[in-house]
Amino acid sequence: MKLSRPPKPPEQENVIPLINVVFLLLIFFMLAGKLGQTDPFELTPPDSQSERAPTDRPATVYVGTDGRTALGQEVLSLTALEQAIRGRLENGGADGGGGAVRLKTDRGAEANRVIDVMDTLRRAGVERVTLLTTVRENQ
Amino acid sequence: MNQRSSASPLNLRSNTRRRATISLTPLIDVVFILLVFFMLASSFLDWRAIDLQAPATAGSDGGETGALLLRVSRDGGLDLNGRPVEPDRLVASLRRAAEQRQDARLLIQPGAGVAMQRAVDLLDAARRAGIERAQLLRGAGGGG
Repeated sequence: MKLSRPPKPPEQENVIPLINVVFLLLIFFMLAGKLGQTDPFELTPPDSQSERAPTDRPATVYVGTDGRTALGQEVLSLTALEQAIRGRLENGGADGGGGAVRLKTDRGAEANRVIDVMDTLRRAGVERVTLLTTVRENQ
Repeated sequence: MNQRSSASPLNLRSNTRRRATISLTPLIDVVFILLVFFMLASSFLDWRAIDLQAPATAGSDGGETGALLLRVSRDGGLDLNGRPVEPDRLVASLRRAAEQRQDARLLIQPGAGVAMQRAVDLLDAARRAGIERAQLLRGAGGGG
């Protein structure tokens, strides 16, 4: 059996199409993805059927499965959290959030612990608490 | 350098020949690194928000008379105003209760050990039943 000899590779591979594709991927990820700050610890938010998307981005308070709480990147106890929030509000809300706080909890966190955290936030002077959830896949 | 293109007074030929030799490899490297950065750093999670009214604590604002109280226990048992409710009939019961009074409020009191997902499900159920003012109420025990 006679096999035809494979064609000789060209002197220089044509890389222009590769660059085009990579540029397109780059632009896609830049536009479609959102760069956000990473969570201070691993958490899986609960899902809900809420149709409202979060609009503003005030300070974020995290509650983990084991009840840990954090503000931004710092893991804080409940009392330290209250002081931090109060200090932030007295400074006029450096991030422009005013009296609003976003709450990101793990789906397995104990509800009463989350209520404790909300209570603490309210004592610290927070007026609006928004719970962040993900979208439910199957209705 | 331009001895070869001495025929052209403007040196155009020599310019175009040199531009073609710029290597693309560093450009590809940089673009690949940017691509990997954006692939790893960007998140595609679709977030949703639920407005939580400040959690009620007993006797905080005196507005709790006439509110509906929905208790959920760790094993999933529900009771609405003291009467046990089947989970799949919860929305219907809530809707019926909400129709009886204007501007109904719902207090959701999770028992010890109830996970946040369950509480969010109940908030969802309240909104499906047409109750806009649902809030979480600290239950006895647990948490802490």
